[in-house]
Amino acid sequence: MPRNTFCRSAAHAMDRRAFLGGAAAVGATVASDMTQLSVLAAPGANGALKKTQKRIILLWLAGGASQLETWDPKPGATTGGPFRSIQTDVPGLRISELMPKMASRMKTTCVIRGLNTKNGDHGSAAVTMMKGRRDEAALRYPDLGAVVAREMGRADSKVPDYVTFYTQSEGRSMAPGTSGFLGARYAPMELTTNNYPEFIKKLDGITDLDHLERGELRDLLGKQFGQGRNSETMSSQNEAYQRVRGIMASEKLFDITQEPQKVRDRYGPTQFAEQVLIARRLVEAGVPFVRVGRAWWDSHGQNFETHQEMVPELDHVMATLIDDLTERGMMDDVMIVTLAEFGRTPSINASLGRDHFASAWSSTITGCGIKRGSVYGKSDPKGQTVVSEEVDAGSLFATIYSALGLDPNKNYHVGARPIPLVNPGVLPIKAVLQ
Amino acid sequence: MRFRSLLLAVICVLAPTAVRAADPALPPASKSIEQVIDQLVDAAITDANVTPAGQADDATVIRRLTLDLVGRIPTTGEVDAYVKSTEADRRAKLVDRLIASPAFVRHQATLFDIMLNPEGDRRGSGAFRAYLTDALKENRPWDKIFREVMLPDENDAKLKGAADFLRGRVSDADKLTADVSVAFFGVNVSCAQCHNHPHVEDWTQDHFYGMKAFLARTFDNGGFLGERGYGTIKYKPTKGPERTAKMMFLTGATIEDANAKDPDAAAMKAEKDALDKAKAAKTPPPAPKFSARAKLVEVALKGENAEFFARSLANRLWHRFLGTGLVSPLDQMHSENRSSHPELLAWLARDTATNGYDIKRLVRGIVMSKTYSRSSRYEASENVPSFKTFAVVRLKPMTPLQLATALKIASTDSASFEGLKPAEFETKMEQIESSAKGFAALIAQPTDNFQIGVGEALLFSNGDRLMKEFLTDGTGTTLGRAKQMKEPKEVVEFLVKTAYGRTATEQETKALVGFIEKRKGREAESYRHVLWALVTAPEFRFSY
Repeated sequence: MPRNTFCRSAAHAMDRRAFLGGAAAVGATVASDMTQLSVLAAPGANGALKKTQKRIILLWLAGGASQLETWDPKPGATTGGPFRSIQTDVPGLRISELMPKMASRMKTTCVIRGLNTKNGDHGSAAVTMMKGRRDEAALRYPDLGAVVAREMGRADSKVPDYVTFYTQSEGRSMAPGTSGFLGARYAPMELTTNNYPEFIKKLDGITDLDHLERGELRDLLGKQFGQGRNSETMSSQNEAYQRVRGIMASEKLFDITQEPQKVRDRYGPTQFAEQVLIARRLVEAGVPFVRVGRAWWDSHGQNFETHQEMVPELDHVMATLIDDLTERGMMDDVMIVTLAEFGRTPSINASLGRDHFASAWSSTITGCGIKRGSVYGKSDPKGQTVVSEEVDAGSLFATIYSALGLDPNKNYHVGARPIPLVNPGVLPIKAVLQ
Repeated sequence: MRFRSLLLAVICVLAPTAVRAADPALPPASKSIEQVIDQLVDAAITDANVTPAGQADDATVIRRLTLDLVGRIPTTGEVDAYVKSTEADRRAKLVDRLIASPAFVRHQATLFDIMLNPEGDRRGSGAFRAYLTDALKENRPWDKIFREVMLPDENDAKLKGAADFLRGRVSDADKLTADVSVAFFGVNVSCAQCHNHPHVEDWTQDHFYGMKAFLARTFDNGGFLGERGYGTIKYKPTKGPERTAKMMFLTGATIEDANAKDPDAAAMKAEKDALDKAKAAKTPPPAPKFSARAKLVEVALKGENAEFFARSLANRLWHRFLGTGLVSPLDQMHSENRSSHPELLAWLARDTATNGYDIKRLVRGIVMSKTYSRSSRYEASENVPSFKTFAVVRLKPMTPLQLATALKIASTDSASFEGLKPAEFETKMEQIESSAKGFAALIAQPTDNFQIGVGEALLFSNGDRLMKEFLTDGTGTTLGRAKQMKEPKEVVEFLVKTAYGRTATEQETKALVGFIEKRKGREAESYRHVLWALVTAPEFRFSY
């Protein structure tokens, strides 16, 4: 299958399996072929956890933001590039000068600097970093959003439980939100054309009462038909229709004009800023998971111009979001994660670009049960390798789940097979948990 | 304990329970397919001490058969004719009429396309669908289709569409290996790519790489499929030194390859020149003297090796019509994942192999069984038996095109189907199906354990296409006809009959009439809401 590449880099010519070190199987069949999926069979099993209503806003830096121009600068090294580093409010922690606002807020945040995720292919790496592991041939895992939707959402939720914004076209098809074996109930509401979900408003030609009462007729017909019939697919259809009115009522959450001008000005006028502000409105209303995708960081050429333009926006919006959530007293219940499919090579290519790099890159986690102002992992002076506290996708996800109060060993069951939230033996990073 | 259950859970085993051609435990080959199905399923139901559901009523049977065989709901005229008929063989006549219809070919071609290309992004090759349609039109045997897909003749305009199956996968030999094994043999070997099975001795990396050795010489030569006559697959086992894979079929049968060694430089250059010449001339390259792919086809269909092939076809067609496989999942046919009805599967596999892999014959046998025509309603709803017993029929969500076509038929005035000659009726149905394709593209393709998401409910609740393309009330539409009626009760009975093919119950008549009467002066609007409620309810959404 030809992989769509936008940057025409030689890196894409590299054999994917060489990248992976000859590792695991390539996805071959769909998980939905598994029978007796029991994951939906026991709702309310984690009622106690749901009461705490932890939520996540994932800032997805699509295409791969450079760790050297953000969280792990190497000024002065041959690989360092032109930007300097600046001191943050955490003693001993320096980040790129392109992030002055975050530099004065690093006490809120944990930086993971030792990511080694072993996959430099946009598509498959994006899937791995959205799911915390690679799919098996016959098993499609749910991604972070679907797991959080399942664990933190309510079965009868009036709001969507997984929303994803990805309005730029570059790379969108490579990192779709996907609920894997959890099924369509936890599939994301995807916003790809504007900030307003499709079909969330009733048509002009129908009154609200007619809309409501024809739905009641449908439910009545459904009940009559369902007597003596047992089908999870039928139940999912009935549940889907029962959620329609609630989702429609959440329409205003997507309407940025409902927000005071002062708040809008604070976030700024860019599309990314507006989507992050909507994300805040959504989590405030109880939406468990929102991803805001910002593309396209894939700077094989002109890496420094790209980052000079994009990093300050990320810095400003992320800092504003942290301030806003802190003022609202929500930082213990809402987690902000910055993540991408990979980082960028320390070496600078002939087009002054940086290529795909999965061996030593960075991510951040802010809020919930994560230790504020912590740094985990260290790359070498040139940023080529992780020298201590290496982290892979699995333990990053185990850490996120743990910081949300979820047991990473909690099992779903696909047929008789228990499937834990992370692969067996994968542990969270204790050092960054509160 | 957890460790043990994980091991048990890794289901990647081979070695099917061997079935000999003259297995004395099986019912005789002379019995009809439907007789054997009912005999063995009923025996298992009795053994399990389960009370089966009764037979479905006539209106349900014709709806189920029409949806399953030709991909649409029946018109009210078809339902009435079937229900009123007193002919003893009316079901056989209906089945034969539907199987002979061009719509059978179109619908089954769609389903075979989905079966061979389960990942949606690989479908959409018009040429491959056209090939399947041609093949099914003449009821080409499944082994012949397998041969044509695996060894496509790209010089033959009528056959070259078959090449798309390989062409779409040729850049990734691992994927090709896994997909060929799943599609034709019901075995997912990809789990043995990286390690031997943890606790079943006979399941090793040799199986994966053995299959890959048949396929890895295939490549793309300027848009045409090329195959080298040499080349080996080496792999690094989890233990020990690097190994060279022998061409080995799933049963362990190996092929000796005299050409395993690379040819000399001159021969390689000659081959490269021939390939470049074909590429420049935009023609299919010459086949090698020794084709590994041809050897795979040969060994897979030879003697008892063919059990994989025959069992997989039987299981997949069973699953298509009953909604649950005799082995589930469909790609996990191995000794650790026993069939719910091993003798039935063995008998069906033997029957299809000895009768030339005749698809229509097998389909007809399955849908003529009483097992197929059981009710989907289980009155004592507390203890609904497992679908694996086939004691009650499982609901099947419609495919996108079935649903959109059904919407078109239900919103078309049933009178417009009356009095048509058979050929005119077929043409009209084909037009309806074509006009439904746009809307179908907005609906998700169901899989096992499919869930309907809120996206579909929002599309039907608030999208304008359902209103503009289906629920209109112009001349020749269901709603247009309803507008001519005087009494709400008459309208309700008409709409229920049109959507569901049955008479309205007292309870629903009361509710629907009440809804209409509450909207005096807005009758036309209220009829539309009633039809909306009927077609969004599960009785419309599912084959039951």
